[in-house]
Amino acid sequence: MTGAPVPEPGNSPDTPAGAPGTSPAATLRPARPQWRETLSLLLHNPTAAVAGVLLLLIVVVAVLDDTFAPEGANDISVADRLQSPSWSHPFGTDDLGRDILSRVILGASVSLRVGFLAVGFALVAGTLIGLLAGYYGKWVDDVLMRFMDMLFAFPAVLLAIAVLAVRGPGSGNTALAIGIVYTPIFARVTRASVLGVREEVYVRASRSVGASDWRLLTRHILPNAAPPIIVQTSISLAFAVLAEAALSFLGLGTQPPNPSWGLMLAEGRGYIELAWWLAFFPGMAIFLTVLCFNLLGDGLRDALDPRQRTLMAGSGKAASGSAAVGGAAVAGDAAVAGDAAGSGGDR
Amino acid sequence: MFALVHLVPGDPVRLALGTRFSQETYDALRERSGLDQPLLEQFVTWLGRAVTGDLGVSFRSGETVTSQIAERLPATLTLAFASILVALVIAVPLGTISALRPRSVVDRVATVISQFGISVPDFWMGIVLILVFAGTLGWLPSGGYVPLTEDPGGWLQRLLMPALVTGVVSGSVITRFVRSSVLEALGSDHVRTAQAKGLGSRQVFTWHVLRNALLPLVTVTGVQLAYLLSGVVVVEIVFSWPGLGQLALQAVEARDYPVLQGAILLFALVFLVINLVVDLLYSAIDPRIRR
Amino acid sequence: MSGDPVLEVEDLRVRLRTPRGPAEVVNGLSYTVGAGETVAVVGESGSGKSVSVLALLGLLPARVATVTGRALLQGEDLLTMPPERLRQVRGPGAGMVFQDPMTSLNPVLTIGRQLVEGIRAHGDVSKSAARTRAAELLREVGLPDPEKALDRYPHELSGGMRQRVVIAIALSNSPSLLIADEATTALDVTVQAQIIDLVEKLQAEHGTGVIWITHDLGVVAGIADRVLVMYGGRCVEDGTVDDVLERPAHPYTRGLLGSLPDLAAPAGPDGEVPELTTVPGLPPPPTDLPPGCVFWPRCPVRADPRCETEQPPLAVVSRAAAGATASGALEEGSRLPHRAATWCTEGGQG
Repeated sequence: MTGAPVPEPGNSPDTPAGAPGTSPAATLRPARPQWRETLSLLLHNPTAAVAGVLLLLIVVVAVLDDTFAPEGANDISVADRLQSPSWSHPFGTDDLGRDILSRVILGASVSLRVGFLAVGFALVAGTLIGLLAGYYGKWVDDVLMRFMDMLFAFPAVLLAIAVLAVRGPGSGNTALAIGIVYTPIFARVTRASVLGVREEVYVRASRSVGASDWRLLTRHILPNAAPPIIVQTSISLAFAVLAEAALSFLGLGTQPPNPSWGLMLAEGRGYIELAWWLAFFPGMAIFLTVLCFNLLGDGLRDALDPRQRTLMAGSGKAASGSAAVGGAAVAGDAAVAGDAAGSGGDR
Repeated sequence: MFALVHLVPGDPVRLALGTRFSQETYDALRERSGLDQPLLEQFVTWLGRAVTGDLGVSFRSGETVTSQIAERLPATLTLAFASILVALVIAVPLGTISALRPRSVVDRVATVISQFGISVPDFWMGIVLILVFAGTLGWLPSGGYVPLTEDPGGWLQRLLMPALVTGVVSGSVITRFVRSSVLEALGSDHVRTAQAKGLGSRQVFTWHVLRNALLPLVTVTGVQLAYLLSGVVVVEIVFSWPGLGQLALQAVEARDYPVLQGAILLFALVFLVINLVVDLLYSAIDPRIRR
Repeated sequence: MSGDPVLEVEDLRVRLRTPRGPAEVVNGLSYTVGAGETVAVVGESGSGKSVSVLALLGLLPARVATVTGRALLQGEDLLTMPPERLRQVRGPGAGMVFQDPMTSLNPVLTIGRQLVEGIRAHGDVSKSAARTRAAELLREVGLPDPEKALDRYPHELSGGMRQRVVIAIALSNSPSLLIADEATTALDVTVQAQIIDLVEKLQAEHGTGVIWITHDLGVVAGIADRVLVMYGGRCVEDGTVDDVLERPAHPYTRGLLGSLPDLAAPAGPDGEVPELTTVPGLPPPPTDLPPGCVFWPRCPVRADPRCETEQPPLAVVSRAAAGATASGALEEGSRLPHRAATWCTEGGQG
């Protein structure tokens, strides 16, 4: 999806008067979001930029966990148990004398791995389903999307619990469970984008000259559907990390003695009045990671939203994330409504 | 949801019995719960009973699933409605104010708060609240539930923290929705028409901005309520709140398959009912959908 | 068509704050509208037409718009009056009809309610009296079965009917000035004609001054007494409808008229039929106006070297230069001067 510079004939000066004018570019392929411009917009958004950098840091720490962790995560030292934060143990130690900082760092790699696996699964499965449903329409659409609606109707954590109840606890199953939970969102977002571009003139034109379905999907439709999928990926990562923590907290996710943030919180909960740091730091780690993914997602949404580039961006007209008015929100078809609803059901 | 429990690989009876069991026990349980029948037949039998309110008997306690659910329902209803109340009380003013002054300090603060609310792990927030209000300050009990009819004061005391936690989370989602909804309404053409005919700003705001902006709020509130009603499992655990989420989790831990299935059926039902109510409500308040 | 002007606009400037920097959307606009007179404001999208009238009534978001100049509505400056006074003026002073009848009515309130609230905002009228008045207004704008229409919602009416409702709302407080912002653009041609007839009829009955914003020169020829051509936020030419349409002086106006193949094209002084011309290119972005004549980048003439660096002032077009013929007495010309912001005509052009 490296976008070759596409001429933007339609990108004439935006006018506040907003009288409708037929753009000569209407029949041409719409200008794809230009990745370089998107990146620069993103970097000019201080919140998103900081979130992105922080995330990068978290990922690096998680990948190189052994290098960064001052001690082994499971080094038990009974003499050092329940020590409050100090220079030798910045986050303190737990009931077995294990260094909490080291466990938080190792927990990062566990939490993120599950998060990425889950979202990766949802991304691939959901995008595929959404593409098929949106592109072929008719009964394919009906069958696939009804099934997705059924999954979506479920409270996310409960669906994950149900999956884990049958599959048994563990990191891999947790990733699978969360992945299944998030598949419908990706399917929906993708389908909506595909429906948006399927009837565009350039797609019909390509079809009329005999382009194959596969070529149409990969060359024309997928790149145009990409922006909302990218945004959804970031936001889903946030909720996947959160869900992993919740499931581990409930004892269904990562199993001891592996350090996962949710598990550490559960273990520290019993000591909350005695040693607050046991539960505090892992919670903070979850919070920060999730916050960063969310902020990055918001930044991406703004940067990829063409409306953000209009002249009147400051006024109400260009409000980001317009609300779905009327019954659309009930059907949940509008991406935004789905998103708003989704982020609720996600918890 | 029946399909879900069955399609995902794994044998519920085997799981229910744990690792040590004899073949006879296995077969007996299988037969007792009808799991030796073909899948379709099982489904029809189960569905037929479910319609009459018979959801089977718990593997563990031997009580009927229906009675167990009925026992937990009041706590769940209480928490869900209290939370949605907290959420709306936070979200509507906050979202509206930040939409009225986009990019102002108030807006930025509101955005940060709602972003925090969406990102904070609810169980962690619960633990921190318990630490502060139940531990350090000692103002509130750390958890549990008493029915309103028995002890109104204690009921409120115990409800406060969990409702706050779930309310803040839901409220953050709703705040963002209200903000964008009000912003959109503010920018719509009919608001300009209303201003141009010389209405006062308060009248324009109430009748042409807020009224239009809050219509879709019904839907979002419905979705949030459905999610709250289906048991905020983790928060219920943190506050020892004897709701449906806790029941479902206990069923998972005890591998109590009929209870889990019953609970899930109820959640699906709740979802359907709420959607129906939202649709009805919507057609009552939005003339465009009427008839 | 005489007496004191209803509206006098003087050096109106609007600047919008945008992410791309300040945009000078209206740059020193001056004109008057007399009682019973119709002034058409013409220009492409983005020429600042709509913004200039929205600014008059304070309908631009104050956070992004800075408006300067003077705009006297019956002697009172709209731009400096306190908000409450401005509210009182909206309606009885000036009514406004917007472009898109599909969106300019509130979809969730009945037609009746939207009329009644406008009436009651400007006088102590009982609900039932206001309702009676609302029904009268609907009858006046030609809505069939007005009593029933009061209880309808906008989506139950066609576009043309909705625009009639919007006009009824604009007229509900008998304004001395009616502003129609592309009021017929979104409508079918036949409905367009009906709406124009309606406004002309009502104008004749009430002596209302009308500002008619459009980019449709056919409409201008049909309805306007005077024309003001806007380009890049400036008035580049104004005058009587005959002067401007038949003897356009500014290259932009000529381009606009030239791009209409069938309308009475400007005949040259020697009667030759001019070539069909168009205006190539796009208007300059308001964030980045050219230093000289705003039209210079697209101008096919560029007769004067000053055009590139200096904005030509709006000056009376000498009748010889504009190719005066026998039509139009000189006295009339002095009362309603034909002006254009161009140097092109001075050099004996055309």
